[in-house]
Amino acid sequence: MRDEALLNVSNLTVNLLTAKSAVRPVDGVSYSVRQGECLAIVGESGSGKTVMNFAPLGLMPTGVTTMLSGSVKLEGRELIGLPEPEIQKLRGKSVGFIFQDPMSALNPVRRIGRQIAEMAELHLNMTPRAAEARALELVKLVGISDPVARLRQYPHELSGGLRQRIVIAIALAGEPKLLIADEPTTALDVTVQAQILRLLKDVQRRLDMAMVLITHDMGVVAGAADNIVVMYAARAAECGPVDKVLVSPRHPYTRGLINAIPRREDPIGSEFRGLPGIPPTLGAPIKGCALAPRCELAVPACSNSRPPLVRSDDSSVLVACPVVNQGKAAA
Amino acid sequence: MTQAPVLKVENLQTRFKSVQRGKFVHAVDDVSIELYPGEIVGLVGESGCGKSTLGRTIVGLEKASSGRVLLDGVDLSALSGAALRDSRRALQYVFQDPYSSLNDRQTVGEAIDEALVIAGTRTLEERDRRTKELLDQVGLASAVRDRHTRELSGGQRQRVAIARSLAVNPRVLICDEPVSALDLSIRAQVMNLFLRLQKDLGVACLFIAHDLALVRQAASRVYVMYLGRIVEHGPSQELYDRPSHPYSQMLLASAPEVDPRIEKHRRGPLMIGEVPSPTNPPSGCRFRTRCPLAVDDCAKAMPPSHGLSPGHSAACIFAADLHRGKRSALLHQEASAA
Repeated sequence: MRDEALLNVSNLTVNLLTAKSAVRPVDGVSYSVRQGECLAIVGESGSGKTVMNFAPLGLMPTGVTTMLSGSVKLEGRELIGLPEPEIQKLRGKSVGFIFQDPMSALNPVRRIGRQIAEMAELHLNMTPRAAEARALELVKLVGISDPVARLRQYPHELSGGLRQRIVIAIALAGEPKLLIADEPTTALDVTVQAQILRLLKDVQRRLDMAMVLITHDMGVVAGAADNIVVMYAARAAECGPVDKVLVSPRHPYTRGLINAIPRREDPIGSEFRGLPGIPPTLGAPIKGCALAPRCELAVPACSNSRPPLVRSDDSSVLVACPVVNQGKAAA
Repeated sequence: MTQAPVLKVENLQTRFKSVQRGKFVHAVDDVSIELYPGEIVGLVGESGCGKSTLGRTIVGLEKASSGRVLLDGVDLSALSGAALRDSRRALQYVFQDPYSSLNDRQTVGEAIDEALVIAGTRTLEERDRRTKELLDQVGLASAVRDRHTRELSGGQRQRVAIARSLAVNPRVLICDEPVSALDLSIRAQVMNLFLRLQKDLGVACLFIAHDLALVRQAASRVYVMYLGRIVEHGPSQELYDRPSHPYSQMLLASAPEVDPRIEKHRRGPLMIGEVPSPTNPPSGCRFRTRCPLAVDDCAKAMPPSHGLSPGHSAACIFAADLHRGKRSALLHQEASAA
């Protein structure tokens, strides 16, 4: 792994203004991804994990005014403030996207081969013929059997797993340096999920890309990611290497999430473990720690000011919890 | 179990007309299951295996092409009119998506009241009392009553949907992926609600889900479904410890591990391919096209269900070997991959 980060996000804040409301789905989050590294961003719905990755690249719904502050650097180039035509050139070229639902990500009335070739023509200035050849290569790369016949098919003729493989092929067509996968296996069965995750990991290693894996499922993180950012209510709660964060989570939210996953040794019919309460609704930024109302460790000071991310003793893990961090200082 | 089953499904078949003329899709094919009072039973399988169609056929949302659904020993297909409506009330459905199963324009109180009116609760005072009781049963504060369902979070909405199902005092709940649309930290709360309802009210529950870990903890027995058929069923602990159908083995082994130390060294078997089309299911055993153990005999006839231990049986010619651990769909695959 190289030292220079391919994607460097620092203190990113996203404000969204609609006709009716103003919300801040991302509030001062920093992270970076190096070439050949996979970063998992884990959070529940509404935690800001998707907006954080899509807003700087201009992928926001129409009718919403997006205001960004902070810095997002891709290969040293600042994305915030970049005019839309410049960002459009990056999308699909330097940055490939994989979306949650492969059916709505594909064009239902065009053949698979054309949809892949189109990307190669657009971003690599290939002739249609060369692009078709590239499409065939890509379909082989993503492990689809009978590739020549598949290129002539339409999305509705394929199963969910095959469709997601096609979406991955399209994302790879522009030879991206960074792959952003937004819940790539959520719409798939557990059996197919394992196949797609293995494929993603495999192409990421072979093409030496950086990958951001956005997910709500702790289960898919361990096998695929090197590092993890756990998001809660627009902020990063904990980040660090997967081996550390998943094995000995420090932040009460991370601990709660991992603890909530049923284990083999849990007796049948026993209570399910989980976090009490519900996540806060998006709205005005919260003054103190957003988890405080649901947290068993909370002390009055938690509601006063936003807890900063503090490095652990071995400086690999960052945790935004004053109680956990203080305990460390005392010990 | 000496008690009579509250719900008994016998050789149920549901078929749909295929787009290919003259062909049928056998979504549910010769399925028999039983539910005893106050028991949570899991039904697992990949999408497209017919588990939702089975649930929908049981409550009458789809028409069975053959077979019977018996509620307390009474064949529902023999009933009609008022008698059928009365029986059906005992059988309620909880849908996956609490965002589409509730009317956004109703308040929580109205949504529950509506269910009570349909259930035949006549007087206003009685309905008011029941609404309070139901809100309490599903763990919602009475203050929620005047809020619109659209203002609630996913977990709260699912609780309202459950309260509506409970309004008619059902004996059986068919829950179709009731927590998949909910966030992880909320899931446990709703799962615990199901456990409590089962204990307090004695409602039997058919729990349709694809999350195997969730089902293991909640259900006392589990049915595994593949391409319209039940391939294995048994007590959860036994089935999870000693899965005896190659499909169950591979399905259980596909679930990812959270601990990276285990995950990195896990030689997880990758299920080969995906579920074939139910329009043209494979001959003989339906799993044979993806099964690492398949032999010629598998294509000839549908393997019968082999009893392995009390209440545990699997439809595979190798079931006895698999159960004794003499053979495994997983080891075989690792050996062939090496």
